[in-house]
Amino acid sequence: MTHVFVFTNHKGGVGKSTSATNIALGLSSVLKSTGATNSRVLLIDTDSQAHATLVTTGRKDYGSQDSLYTVLMAERQSAAKVMNDCIVQSQWNPDLHVLPASPMLEGAERELIGAAGAPYRISDPLSKIMSHYAAVVIDTRPSFSLLTEMALIAATDAIIPVEPRYLETVGLLSVITKINDIRDGWRIPDLKVSGIVITKMDSRIKGHIQLLDDLKSHPVLGKLICGVIPANEAVSYAHNNHQSVFSYDPKASASKAYAELVVTLIRRMVQG
Amino acid sequence: MPKPNVQRTSNLLASVTDEMLGGDLTAKLQDKTIRVERLLLELVRPHPVQPRRVLPERIHQAFHQQQLTPTQALRELAQIVQVAARQQSRPFTSVLDLLTQPEDESETTSELSPEETLLRDLVNLAVTIRDDGQVNPLTVVDVSEGVSHLYRIETGERRYWATWLLRDFIPDSNSDGTIPCIVIPTKTASVFRQAKENTSRSGLTAIGMARQAALLLLSVHGHEIPNYPVDNDFYRQALELDLRGKHEFTDTILAAMGGISKFHFSHFKSLLNLSDEALEVADRHDLDEGQLRYVVKLPREHHAEMITQIVQFNLTVKQVREMCDTSSDRPQVEPQVSRAAKQLLKFLKAAEEVTPQEFVTAMLSAEHDKNVVRARLQSLYQYLIEIDQALASTEKG
Repeated sequence: MTHVFVFTNHKGGVGKSTSATNIALGLSSVLKSTGATNSRVLLIDTDSQAHATLVTTGRKDYGSQDSLYTVLMAERQSAAKVMNDCIVQSQWNPDLHVLPASPMLEGAERELIGAAGAPYRISDPLSKIMSHYAAVVIDTRPSFSLLTEMALIAATDAIIPVEPRYLETVGLLSVITKINDIRDGWRIPDLKVSGIVITKMDSRIKGHIQLLDDLKSHPVLGKLICGVIPANEAVSYAHNNHQSVFSYDPKASASKAYAELVVTLIRRMVQG
Repeated sequence: MPKPNVQRTSNLLASVTDEMLGGDLTAKLQDKTIRVERLLLELVRPHPVQPRRVLPERIHQAFHQQQLTPTQALRELAQIVQVAARQQSRPFTSVLDLLTQPEDESETTSELSPEETLLRDLVNLAVTIRDDGQVNPLTVVDVSEGVSHLYRIETGERRYWATWLLRDFIPDSNSDGTIPCIVIPTKTASVFRQAKENTSRSGLTAIGMARQAALLLLSVHGHEIPNYPVDNDFYRQALELDLRGKHEFTDTILAAMGGISKFHFSHFKSLLNLSDEALEVADRHDLDEGQLRYVVKLPREHHAEMITQIVQFNLTVKQVREMCDTSSDRPQVEPQVSRAAKQLLKFLKAAEEVTPQEFVTAMLSAEHDKNVVRARLQSLYQYLIEIDQALASTEKG
């Protein structure tokens, strides 16, 4: 079964797009280097800001004919073919493919109100083409909107990036509850919250260390922590240059932390 | 914008992850166990050089030249069937009509055209898939390049077309537009595998076997098997090749052809000498190699006509042999001249060598009555007068 990782949090600026793009590239590269039978990874950008699309493809001018918006508006029977046709190759790696976002997604939710099967408009077509991929990574917008719900319905693993700040960590349980509500409400037994990624961790700040310790000792959240990504200038500069953190600065601590997270996720993929 | 360094990324990830992944996990990632996957129909395509033709040649070529979508190709087939059905006063409002049992089955079934039989079989298969599911997955090769996803069918083209029928032509099918497939890595795909699959199941037509023989020969002689549609001249290149130059492959080739002898292999290959039209008709009507081997001996311009006669009169191998031998003995005689006319011509030529007395003796010995002999001669006079008149009218014309 192809694992579908969705990076979600209703808080903005926590590193969803950064994590989604770098993890997607990492998965593809590691699978390739290990000689895996399939190393293709699909990145789906559901955020109308299209940051993940921009950094991986160098463009953000996708529109009504060549983006996720096109898929959402397609007829049910042709949606899978439309999705397949809208996928483009990333500039990062030939095996990293991208279903680009479009600013038009902003209005898509409004257009889809009352449309039949609207919440399944990503999962249905994706299920018909995902055997082509070793893994799928979905980047979401910073809200639990219809598009995020669509992404979660299509997913098998929800990963929550969070900054080590008090208010963010306080909201973590509510994020998990919301994801579980979606899983139970739409009866998607495959979906589970499979990880929390602490981003922008600065070990020089006492508050960060304290919060990380608190999280680790939490009976539920502690078990879910699957990666800690240090705050690192390389991450911001990599984005500015439309590069992954791995290629921008392979020696950066953030690069190594993301690589470790990639391995953790691959381990889960293999172990089921 | 600086270009991303893919190698640098790979190096880092490889160095960081090697010891973390461990050998066991790596082995699992390299798992080559055969798996059945449901693939989107649109991403699956038949192999254009597959020796077995499922669709009629014209539709086959148009489909592989991207002039027709799968749905359009099936619609063309349905239209051909509709015309054939109307000519026989059979109802045809939907493809499901083909499954309706005629009142007098023995009478009507025998009259079905090859296209009707083909479509009926496909519809039957589609209905079986609808009712019982597809038990036997297709075998496909992943030939995707970049984001152009494509799976080339190695075996199972009939199931592919049946699934399209189910999706677009059969109401209440609930088809989700996917098809179960076993995906074979490109490296392990080969013409030998395909040949074994082709010959081990329901078998190929004689023409299919000829194409199969050609593909195997071309392959072992280093010719590249193309991924685009080819005409019969491509297969005819094999006529200049044989097994003698490739002893090491002889057993493998004969085994892939279903364990036939070298003799039969050679016979199948020689069918490629048939004209294009003859090849198409013979393939469509599934004519036997035994019938076709005599047709090959005729001049190429007579192939199609002879094959049409085989189909029309359901000629046996013996009859075909006799007809072809006669035809090849006298290639100068116009084919539209009847056998009786030819015999009469022979008689007239022989008249110079027979004396009148000899002829009278022969007639009396055959008829035993002078009056009957006179009556026959009267008829002959009359006939000769009519021949003279016919000749005169030809000269005027």
